[in-house]
Amino acid sequence: MRRRSFASIGLMAAVLVAALPAIAGDTPARPQRIVSLDLCTDQLLVELVPRTRIAAVTHLAADATVSAIPDKALGITVTHGAAEDVLRFDPDLVLAGPFGVPATVDLLRRLGKRVVVVPQPQDLEGVRSVVQVVASAVGAEAEGAAMIADFDHRLARLAAMRQQQALKPGAIVYQVGGVVAGPGSLADAAIAAAGFRNLAREYYTTRGGQVPLEMLLAHPPDLLVLSSAPDEYRTALADNLRHPAVALVRRRRASVELPWRLWLCGTPHIMEAVEQLAAARVRIQARSP
Amino acid sequence: MTAAAARRDIAPAGLLVALGAAACAAFLLSLAVGPSGFGFHVAGDAGALILREIRLPRAILGALVGGALGLSGAALQGYLRNPLAEPSIVGVSGGSALGAVLAIHLGLSGVFAFALPAGGLAGAAVAMLLVMALAGSHGGPVTLILAGLAVSSFATALISLALNLSQNPFATVEMVFWLMGSLADRSLTQVWLAAPLMVAGMALLLLVGRALDALTLGEDAARSLGLDLKRTRLTVVAGTALSVGAATAVTGIIGFVGLIVPHALRPLVGHRPGLLLPASLLGGATMLLVADVALRVVQPWVDLRIGVLTALLGAPFFVWLVLKTRAELAP
Repeated sequence: MRRRSFASIGLMAAVLVAALPAIAGDTPARPQRIVSLDLCTDQLLVELVPRTRIAAVTHLAADATVSAIPDKALGITVTHGAAEDVLRFDPDLVLAGPFGVPATVDLLRRLGKRVVVVPQPQDLEGVRSVVQVVASAVGAEAEGAAMIADFDHRLARLAAMRQQQALKPGAIVYQVGGVVAGPGSLADAAIAAAGFRNLAREYYTTRGGQVPLEMLLAHPPDLLVLSSAPDEYRTALADNLRHPAVALVRRRRASVELPWRLWLCGTPHIMEAVEQLAAARVRIQARSP
Repeated sequence: MTAAAARRDIAPAGLLVALGAAACAAFLLSLAVGPSGFGFHVAGDAGALILREIRLPRAILGALVGGALGLSGAALQGYLRNPLAEPSIVGVSGGSALGAVLAIHLGLSGVFAFALPAGGLAGAAVAMLLVMALAGSHGGPVTLILAGLAVSSFATALISLALNLSQNPFATVEMVFWLMGSLADRSLTQVWLAAPLMVAGMALLLLVGRALDALTLGEDAARSLGLDLKRTRLTVVAGTALSVGAATAVTGIIGFVGLIVPHALRPLVGHRPGLLLPASLLGGATMLLVADVALRVVQPWVDLRIGVLTALLGAPFFVWLVLKTRAELAP
């Protein structure tokens, strides 16, 4: 229910954003002082335009645990995202994500700044459209098209691979606190694209999207996908990943560690996650008679 | 020994046996309940593993933590001669949660595992000494509650500060874990870490029974009976810090068990705080195990926290106690 409403909000946002560049036709085609307020737009921005046109990104862009391109973002000026901080750069384009900063976006728009809110994609098709949205907003259409072409090429190769394998093993993305990646998440899309079925649909899950460890032991998945090492952050919630039961499932079944940075954001880097999953599927297939 | 006294002595043994049987039944029930099916014969070869690795630690922790909370509640109420005393209300639980959070976020628990319960223990001891210093041993219920409120809200503030400063992406969710408590998906490793300290603390608390009986006559009379008040105080502080500190370090704050259980059992044991101690241990274990079973049976998909359930039961009880105390204090 809740997931569906998120999906429709995302769709609305996508439609609105698609309409934006058309409305704002009189703005210069190539913004020169771009500020990004969201980890996901940070990454697309850094890969699509030269550094000289980037005024500031968030501090997360250079954080290797969550960003797929920490090296490329190193040394770019950092903004903390408050409207006053953003104005300091006198940006001619501000990129924002759908969550967390609506008040800042409103304020910046009222002050006459051009703000593009980029939706968070929920599937691989959404990734393509997000690349297009950002590329046309920043005036890097050619770079965007090349990025999408590469993405499509890798996707087609995986689809061909998928057709050769009849088996559809079950996978689960088991995270800190027992939370699993459910339908409508990017990780779910990555699992499907690699030819697995997401067991989050079959397991008993709590309303918070958690799978009790007991279910994991009772019905072990063909592939256990772990997204972050237990000690990546010092948190009591990661105790579930240190639990002997998880170690046991890992010994008995295949498992991969997919770092968050690959699938937290809907950028083409998610393809690296899909390719790792597909490789795991080949290994599983080879092992089973 | 008079006939009346002899009769009074038989009843306690019967009561303790009955409570012990209830605790054992609740323990077995806790082992039998879980999302993969009711009973001890869970399907598949994973059945034995589920029992040993998932349900057993949960049941052991439920029994030990419930026992520690019930017992320390009874001991605090007896020693402070204050009906509102209870580990979470006087700030001991908050202090231990803070100690455990610091042990995790400073990375100490990664260096040596015992740092976690040790942190909880240290936090509990500091909180308890602070509250006693603030409220004084002669302070009435109101001063004790105020001192406990001050200490526990300060501890809570420091927990959120520590979590926010650590830039932990799970800071908000982890606050819920520490403040609402949880027995879910704990492992035997954690049982081994906390159980020795909890058992030692409970043993210490059971030792003060005679002293608490003497204290019902007042401090002067107790002293004239040869009671060493300083030693009693030290034993209560150490016993509570060990048992509640280690318990909170692995399950988070579970409130009100130490308040409800001694009050529910007091009519059955008469005015003998010494007997109330073992009764509250068994009663606390039973209550927490039953609450945890109820969580898993009634609405398993909601992911209700055990601390929410005990607070739902405990908060109205607390209000009732406050009203009663106020009526008694009224001229």
